[in-house]
Amino acid sequence: MRITIDKLAKAYGFLWALKDLSLDLAPGECVALLGANGAGKTTLLKLLAGLITPTTGAIRLDGVHFSRSMPQLRARIGFLAPADHIYENLSARENLHFFTRLYNRNAASPDLDAALEQVGLEQRGDELVANLSSGMKCRLSIAKWLLLEPELLLVDEPYGVLDGSGIDTLESFLRRQCARGSIVIMASHHVSRVLNLCDRAVILSHGRLTFDESKQQPWPTFDKAFGEFLPSSSR
Amino acid sequence: MTSRLRPIKKRKGILGGLALVTVLFGLYRSLVVAPPDAYQGEVQRIMYLHLPSILIAYLSYFLVFIGSGLYLWKREKRDDILAYAAAELGVLFTALTIIEGSIWGRPTWGVWWTWDARLTLTAILLLVYVGYLMLRSLIEDENRAATAAAVLGIIGFLDIPLIHMSVYWWRTLHQPPSILRPDKLPWENVHPSMLIALAISFVGFLLLYFYLLSLRYRLGEMRQEIIARRLTRGG
Amino acid sequence: MTLLRQALLLLWKDTLLELRRRDSLLTMFFFGTLLLFVFNFAFDLAPDKIATMAPGLLWLAFLFTGTLGLAQLFQAERENHCLDALLLSPLEGGALFLAKAAFNLILMVLVEIVVIPLFWILFNLRLWNLLPQIFLVTLLGTIGFCVLGTLMSAITLRARARELLLPLVLFPLMIPVILATIRCMEEVLRTGQFGDQVAWLRLLLGFDVIFLTAGVLIFDWVIES
Repeated sequence: MRITIDKLAKAYGFLWALKDLSLDLAPGECVALLGANGAGKTTLLKLLAGLITPTTGAIRLDGVHFSRSMPQLRARIGFLAPADHIYENLSARENLHFFTRLYNRNAASPDLDAALEQVGLEQRGDELVANLSSGMKCRLSIAKWLLLEPELLLVDEPYGVLDGSGIDTLESFLRRQCARGSIVIMASHHVSRVLNLCDRAVILSHGRLTFDESKQQPWPTFDKAFGEFLPSSSR
Repeated sequence: MTSRLRPIKKRKGILGGLALVTVLFGLYRSLVVAPPDAYQGEVQRIMYLHLPSILIAYLSYFLVFIGSGLYLWKREKRDDILAYAAAELGVLFTALTIIEGSIWGRPTWGVWWTWDARLTLTAILLLVYVGYLMLRSLIEDENRAATAAAVLGIIGFLDIPLIHMSVYWWRTLHQPPSILRPDKLPWENVHPSMLIALAISFVGFLLLYFYLLSLRYRLGEMRQEIIARRLTRGG
Repeated sequence: MTLLRQALLLLWKDTLLELRRRDSLLTMFFFGTLLLFVFNFAFDLAPDKIATMAPGLLWLAFLFTGTLGLAQLFQAERENHCLDALLLSPLEGGALFLAKAAFNLILMVLVEIVVIPLFWILFNLRLWNLLPQIFLVTLLGTIGFCVLGTLMSAITLRARARELLLPLVLFPLMIPVILATIRCMEEVLRTGQFGDQVAWLRLLLGFDVIFLTAGVLIFDWVIES
């Protein structure tokens, strides 16, 4: 899908969290969303996910105006929040079963097993999520989105909870999504890893888009734009 | 900014002045000019306050309904401010109605309270909208509070006819419930002077209500501005 | 229909969670029964008075028991931001509302099936033949309670003092249902049929329909971020 974000803005009361944001995204792009805390990254992700509604402006998916009242469009969007969005007291397999049914994907038991195996949870299928570590919960979330095959995948700060092999699982998953033609937008503070993965960087500052470029080697413009966010000791 | 406010302040001042004059005039006509009731004597005069109070309360709750509906639809802060202001004033006027009714009841029935249809109904109304105010004060997030309250504002208003019907039926056990409000105002047997006093009193209260509403609304606006400024400065 | 399919899926999920943890059902059962015992000590329930007091006492018990269930209704969604997960998903408007209201209804009906006969036994009410009408009235009232209660539960979801606020906003709005069910039950226990109190049943039905519709339409606005 192609995404067009047109002068998107979100206000909470009289405070603007996002202002005048315009962006175009093509299938297969992997975008790094960077910025200080409170810059509006999570707001943007939530707007794209349809979790909140914009105050002004529009999001268009393949030319169609996206609003909350369109469940069919929401079915094509994924939101990967590590260790979140899974039920504590259901087993890993039951969670996958529930979400695949919810998204109207008739995944049979072997498909669920295959997904669990891909993320390294094949031994833990019947364990309750409450008994899994946060790294395993994150892998379960990845397994979920593996099965749901979203065309747009939004990722919010995944690097905090993952160990080495978890990071490998996540990154190979995201690479495969982009190769399939999905758009991946990842918000993270872990700049080096996220730039390694993505081919485009977008920086938000105080709710406005201040930088939007495709990756280059070297990338002086990025170093300059991003330098402001680094702790003063490392500048 | 102050120069822009001056004409508005002036208009509010005029409204306030007009309200005061009308209320005083109404009081004069109610307490001095209108004759005492044939059966109830002087104590009946409280009706000149009691009746307008409850009518204004209903008007206020209707405004809560409208404001709530508009807010859910358009998400414009001003509709929420209106709903909140109207709810507060509604509670004020309902409480006044109950107190006035109680004051009338003591010499008339010998008791401060009775579970007759009207008093009970007014008490329930008070409970519903006190609940609204409590809801607003107990939700931290401004916008969630506004949304939650808006839904309650709509549901509460929808329930009012049902509450009416059930309380009136309860109090008129063996009569078939054919009319919504069995207490009809006996327009025919009322001295014209009393009607005039009532009408003036009502208009005075109405003006007073709108004056208070405009003040309370402005308060709500200012509060939003403070919140916005505090957030921008801190963020 | 997608709406029903999704509501049933959510209902399956909640039932599975309930069977696993049994948080709500057991507490509701126990609490309902406990209230009956407390009533015995709190009120003078002499055999001649019990038939007139029964409807009121039963409804008090159900109101408080039901409120317990409502307070727990969204517990699963509060963990791990699962409510967001549902909002993200292609859930049709109103599906979550229907599922939650239906789930609370099931819990309450299960409790009522036990508590009403228990009440009859404990207080020696001999009018066993009237139980079907009593159950009918209770069901209509419970539907109204669950429908309005689910809405109120969602509204108070993110409030402080949630457990106190929920009854505070819910009970005044429930007064039509309380009056209707108790008056109907009184008439049934007194005369064996509904008589001219059948108008109350129509009120109950109207209440259920109005707030079911309102709930389906409005609910998603409540839970949005």
